Amino acid sequence: MITFEGLSENFKFIILEVEGQVNATLTFLKAPSRSLFEKIESRDDYIDNLKTIIENKCYSRLHTDKHLDKREVNRIRAIHTISVNLERIADYCVNIVRQMGYLTDHSFLHESDYLPIFAEIQDALKRILPAFERDDLPWALAICRAEYELDRMYKDVFERVLTELGTGRDVQSHITVIFIFRYLERIGDSLLNVGEALIFSTLGEKIKITQFDALQRTLSNSGFQGSLQDIDFQAIWGSRSGCRIGKVDAVPGKEGEDRRGVDTQGSIYKEGSINKIKQERANIDRWSTIFPNLVPQVYGYHEEGNNASLLVEFLRGCTMDEVLLTGSEELSQNALFILLQTLREIWEKTRTNAPMHTDYVSQLRSRLPAVRQVHPELYREPMDVGPARVPSTDELLAECSALEVELEAPFTVFTHGDFNVNNIVYDHVQQAVRYIDLYRSRDFDYVQDASVFMVSNFRMPVFEPNLRQRLNWAIQEFYGFCTTFALQNDDKTFQARMAFALARSFYTSTRYEMNFAFAKEMYLRAHFLMEKIIAHRDSPWHHFVLPQDVLYY
Amino acid sequence: MAEEKFIFESMQDAQSIKVFLESLMQGFENERVVLASNGDRIELTPTGLLEFSVKARRKGDASKMSIKVAWKENRKQLNVTDNAISVSTE
Repeated sequence: MITFEGLSENFKFIILEVEGQVNATLTFLKAPSRSLFEKIESRDDYIDNLKTIIENKCYSRLHTDKHLDKREVNRIRAIHTISVNLERIADYCVNIVRQMGYLTDHSFLHESDYLPIFAEIQDALKRILPAFERDDLPWALAICRAEYELDRMYKDVFERVLTELGTGRDVQSHITVIFIFRYLERIGDSLLNVGEALIFSTLGEKIKITQFDALQRTLSNSGFQGSLQDIDFQAIWGSRSGCRIGKVDAVPGKEGEDRRGVDTQGSIYKEGSINKIKQERANIDRWSTIFPNLVPQVYGYHEEGNNASLLVEFLRGCTMDEVLLTGSEELSQNALFILLQTLREIWEKTRTNAPMHTDYVSQLRSRLPAVRQVHPELYREPMDVGPARVPSTDELLAECSALEVELEAPFTVFTHGDFNVNNIVYDHVQQAVRYIDLYRSRDFDYVQDASVFMVSNFRMPVFEPNLRQRLNWAIQEFYGFCTTFALQNDDKTFQARMAFALARSFYTSTRYEMNFAFAKEMYLRAHFLMEKIIAHRDSPWHHFVLPQDVLYY
Repeated sequence: MAEEKFIFESMQDAQSIKVFLESLMQGFENERVVLASNGDRIELTPTGLLEFSVKARRKGDASKMSIKVAWKENRKQLNVTDNAISVSTE
């Protein structure tokens, strides 16, 4: 157990004081008295002070002690969060005893209602210190679950009092009873925060109880036998796709042996809305039937309410962006060569000879609010430069949208759907590339994947000339490959569709770029392409020539 | 990398300014503008993507309009190599 001089003492005290406050509140509900009321109020001041002291110590420790390891830092953070929530619980206690003054008759409060609630709260409070000192995950989880119990009990009382309110009598007292139980229910919310802080202190990751349950079930569906402390969960937060993603590794056993039931390579845990995760699983299944080694294996899948979670194989190797930015010249050439070979095989094998309309402009439009939220300036109103009229962004989009209807992809392939350079993993040992992040895969125009890939290279905020040259080279090779593929497959409108797709990719990419000048560069390119498309409107689309300069920075 | 510079400042009227604006337009059409002064000569080849901005402001009786064209020159065939951009003949 890591100890923090003074801080640990204060932490123990605040727990004890809040336990005392809850007990006193219970006594007060049974037999209210003026002296007890004053005692509860003054104890609240003491708890407030204690919280401030703990807060100061936590911050000053984090700020001044440079030798703290990550675990110690996590524990200090947990102490802070727990203390803040304990102080809130004490506040609710004061609120409860104050509400008592509005009851016209003490008999409106039924012991049978509040005794089990207090028992639940007292039990959870008792577990805090041992759970913290012993890193006891099951106890931390038990504290979290108190919230669910309290919610359930509150609901019962609430519904009963609501019925009684229907009679129209003793309205003030009934409402007061609801308020009192509402504060008790809110104590549950704070206990949940306390429990989650304890999980954080133990696992070193912020994980919500619902995610935790999902992870546990997904792991057990994958055949994993151990407890959650046997795995090392590293969450990667703020994923763009709106899913929470983490890497799960087996914690080596005492003698360094691997635990049974967990792939030694580790796996990737993903949790998010059921539609996305379900779709991703279905896509992985479909990919595996066509190209078994191209995509990660699914180890486990679990649905719960509107959410689902997926445990998939962690692929060895590096993503293509890592290869291009950090690999040697030879490695980059090799990786790109293998990627293009694989792509040719995929496109040829999954080709379906039915023409399909594209939806690049509508894809762009649906992301426009997100773009404008990040960069409100990257949006053009109509303008006149002398007699020359500059169309607005909306006008360009409207016109392009009308023109896109005239175009269709002559055939479809099974696309990746989010063919970002960092969604491609290169395995040097196996001399293979693999796909990850597959929930958008669909039968569609290959130009979409091509455009996304090229712009994902372009948009890397890398300005060192040699590295930029590397990215430009990769884009050029890729575009050359696509041109050849289009030619061999008699795709006559390839360049026109590429202009639509690139306009979409450039414009929508600005929402990920905080460097305004660079974002503006992409925004300007998108507008330039839309203007080119519109300028071509009365000519046949197979005559459209893509201004290739837009591809390179 | 040495910087090459050219500055021309003058007073014109609506009639005489046309000569210069037309001369520049011709330069864009030919993708070549040669600017020279006192033996110093700078040759620009505006090709590929041209960043173009027009800014105007008026404060009291003072008006100003600035026109800017910026671009990167000489986009050539690229190699993976980390050395300077190499040129290849196709």
